[in-house]
Amino acid sequence: MTPTYYLLLSALLFSIGTVGVLVRRNAIVVFMCIELMLNAVNLSLVTFARVNGGLDGQVMAFFVMVVAAAEVVVGLAIIMSIFRARRSSSVDDANLLKY
Amino acid sequence: MSTAALAQAATDNGGPVGLSEAIAFWILGPMALAGALGMVFARNAVHSALWLALAMLNLGALYMAQQAPFLGFVQIIVYTGAVMMLFLFVLMLVGRDSSDSVVEAIKGQRLAAAVLGIGFVALMVGSLARALFSVTPIGLGAANGVPSGNVAALGRLLFTQYLFPFELTSALLITAALGAMLMTFPHTRTTAKSGQRATVEARLRGARVSPLPGPGVFATANSVATPALLPDGSVAPESLSEIIETVPPSAPAPLAPVDAHALVGADHAKSDRISSGEEAQP
Amino acid sequence: MTLQTIPITVPPVAYYAISPLLVVLGAACLGVLVEAFLPRHQRWAAQVTLTLLTLVVAGALLGAYASSGAPAATTLSGSLSVDRPTLFMWGTLLAFGLVGVLLIADRSVEPGGAFITDAEGVASGTHAEGVASGTDAGRAAGAASAGGISRAASRVGAGSATSGTSRAGVAVAAPPAGPIPAGTPRNRATAGRAGMRTEVLPLTLFALGGMMSFCAANDLLTMFVALEVLSLPLYLLCGLARRRRLLSQEAAVKYFLLGAFASAFFLYGLALLYGYAGSVKLADISSAAAASQRSDTLLFAGLALLVVGLLFKGSVAPFHTWTPDVYQGAPTSVTAFMAAATKVAAFGAILRVLTIGFGSTRWEWRGVLWAVAIVSMVIGAVIGLTQTDIKRMLAYSSVAHAGFLLVGAIAITQRGLSGTMFYLLTYGFSTIAAFGVVSLVRDADGEATQLSQWAGLAKRSPLVAGVMTFLLLSLAGIPLTSGFTGKFAIFSAAIADGMAPLVVVALIASAVAAFFYLRVIVLMYFSEPSVEGPTVSVPGAFTTAAVTVGVLITLLLGVAPTMALSWAGAGPFVG
Repeated sequence: MTPTYYLLLSALLFSIGTVGVLVRRNAIVVFMCIELMLNAVNLSLVTFARVNGGLDGQVMAFFVMVVAAAEVVVGLAIIMSIFRARRSSSVDDANLLKY
Repeated sequence: MSTAALAQAATDNGGPVGLSEAIAFWILGPMALAGALGMVFARNAVHSALWLALAMLNLGALYMAQQAPFLGFVQIIVYTGAVMMLFLFVLMLVGRDSSDSVVEAIKGQRLAAAVLGIGFVALMVGSLARALFSVTPIGLGAANGVPSGNVAALGRLLFTQYLFPFELTSALLITAALGAMLMTFPHTRTTAKSGQRATVEARLRGARVSPLPGPGVFATANSVATPALLPDGSVAPESLSEIIETVPPSAPAPLAPVDAHALVGADHAKSDRISSGEEAQP
Repeated sequence: MTLQTIPITVPPVAYYAISPLLVVLGAACLGVLVEAFLPRHQRWAAQVTLTLLTLVVAGALLGAYASSGAPAATTLSGSLSVDRPTLFMWGTLLAFGLVGVLLIADRSVEPGGAFITDAEGVASGTHAEGVASGTDAGRAAGAASAGGISRAASRVGAGSATSGTSRAGVAVAAPPAGPIPAGTPRNRATAGRAGMRTEVLPLTLFALGGMMSFCAANDLLTMFVALEVLSLPLYLLCGLARRRRLLSQEAAVKYFLLGAFASAFFLYGLALLYGYAGSVKLADISSAAAASQRSDTLLFAGLALLVVGLLFKGSVAPFHTWTPDVYQGAPTSVTAFMAAATKVAAFGAILRVLTIGFGSTRWEWRGVLWAVAIVSMVIGAVIGLTQTDIKRMLAYSSVAHAGFLLVGAIAITQRGLSGTMFYLLTYGFSTIAAFGVVSLVRDADGEATQLSQWAGLAKRSPLVAGVMTFLLLSLAGIPLTSGFTGKFAIFSAAIADGMAPLVVVALIASAVAAFFYLRVIVLMYFSEPSVEGPTVSVPGAFTTAAVTVGVLITLLLGVAPTMALSWAGAGPFVG
């Protein structure tokens, strides 16, 4: 076995997250799918750190976690505020804006 | 799966993946995958969150298996412990019962997304496999360093090589805190607080001076859930509580319409009214 | 285990070089403190003074550093690269920031300022308007009022109706704190009374600091963190419009979800490139591309994913879907700032990544970006024709302009670089001023953004119509405006690099795009104003200053572009 399997797992998780973003409607679930994508990237980074023999990948994964935490706070605040206004978190109900 | 075993596996110095790590991978990997799939396919948002927490826990264990013990713990503590719980909190606050409808808003969206996803997987898996299957990892034995260890080595990098992005994340965190307060914490008072005198004046000039009525004299019960009855048996609307579901009065007393101000029974009311009327109009 | 201390050598920091960035970020933190400690009625003045002062000081430091002739260098372990293009883009960003802050801070056009949150509307509505609000809240809550006996309107306070819907329990503890549906008459009434949220100014500064780091970032990780630093405040700012709350909140959610999605792609690209090159420094990626034993699939897959994230921020066409919605929903002053400054940051980063990181492999990827540029120009120009809302029309115009910018960016020559940066400068000032004018045309419901409402505007206010005409002509690229000189700079650079077919497409697209700008001009001058049409409000000093600066610079760059062009072409990227 080579570490490539980790990368394949990461690619699979990333794709599942992508599909989830495209098919789910609930804004919070969509956001969770994005979190899954970030986690998949972290797995790639950690694996590449090992393959390349340097800790940079791990540091980057650490940064991704910090950024993701900040993003979660802002995202959930925004979703909360729109939910309080219209009592729904479905992205389809939010359709005043159409081209 | 004990972390000690994983940490044991994590001490190897590059080369192909050892047997213990391979076993860990083939247990944890499918579980992470199952968590991801469960998150996408669960109809209920809370179930999605729990599936995602499962995927994240397994990923954390996989980090430990890959010589990243610090990241593994951060993943479990920060991601699974804090971030996912924040998600669950918000879900419970706003959208617990919001399950997705199965109706497609855009026709063929799911099919298109699935095709896109499978295409992306094929592309990535193909290119990664072609690019890296023959690669032997260098391993982190040297980088993790025997005297200082993984955490210290990470810290060293953080404060030298990655000093600027590290400082920049502080801007990110301040923004997040400020934004959360901005979106959810109200400007509590935009007008001046009114004093006691103003309150009194407002009440005296308002529509009602006295307190709201309790259950009336003619009520059948004195529970706060029972509305007060007016002497003619009708419900006094002002006595209804705002937050308690009101029980309609059981069998209001069948009373003949009488003068509401009279303090005596129906039999005496007539003579009373006549006499008082006579007195008032000499 | 014995604790062994190995000394850390602090990386050298060129404080003078990065002083504008430090001033902006430091002042943003100071703004947060001001927000925390100053009483509310003093905050607006303090924040505006602080913000404007910051931008001026940062600009002065930048000017002093640029004129000192210091050599281009990287600093902070090569995280930031302070070279001539960086200095030019910092200057551009600070200028846009100054004009944008003037628009954002204005309180005369929209009484009390254009920013409000929902929570605020709730709190301010609880004191005096209880009786009036009962009916509105009752309507919103539908049949959810407590008990079977409906009497929501008969009693003081809206709590009875709203607490039924609010499962949070907050409504019970503080009875009248239910949500107010946006867009109802009551919402408008409270919106008129509550003061402006002054937190928007520190947020703007944070966004500006993120943008400055983004276009100076010399490795992909710094770029990623800066991308988030610039995005998060913008997501928040989009959702704070005083009028049309729902539209604004929707814009924030859409921008946020799509932005996070795009940054996940950027990140995956970063991971693949790290796997390929063993480093995320742009120069290392470039040298690895010349001599790596790894398969190039990894390199190009990484580049593709990376570019998706960057093109999203620059609102280039296949990745533009957020642009019209967000431009329309966000408060107009934020849209103005965002349209101009985000483009500078995004294209600054695109230019740097493509030039330093992938300049040596440009023959492999350039075909794809050709196609993307064509798609962007065509979509922007054609769909822009069908728009009926002026903010959406300007959004599609921004998509078309992103296509033009990409034409210059993929030239990977010194002329292409300077042309693109000059175009960013010209486009930004025209756009900020145009959105500034849009914010002036109002009716009772706020801004009148429907194109039909602009009919006959020239008869009501010849000055505003004239200014708008000039700006639209600039966006269309008519000579004597900055739009023309910008397009000329880009197209001549592209032709010099052998991209004549692309330039032909670009010329056709700009002709089509000119058509929809002209449509607005015709509408303003050659149709009768309707009786209850919008009025043009008299702007206060801030908005006047912002629009005037935008118009003057648009004219100046159109008549005498030489100086700015020479600044833009002062030197190459240094990686």
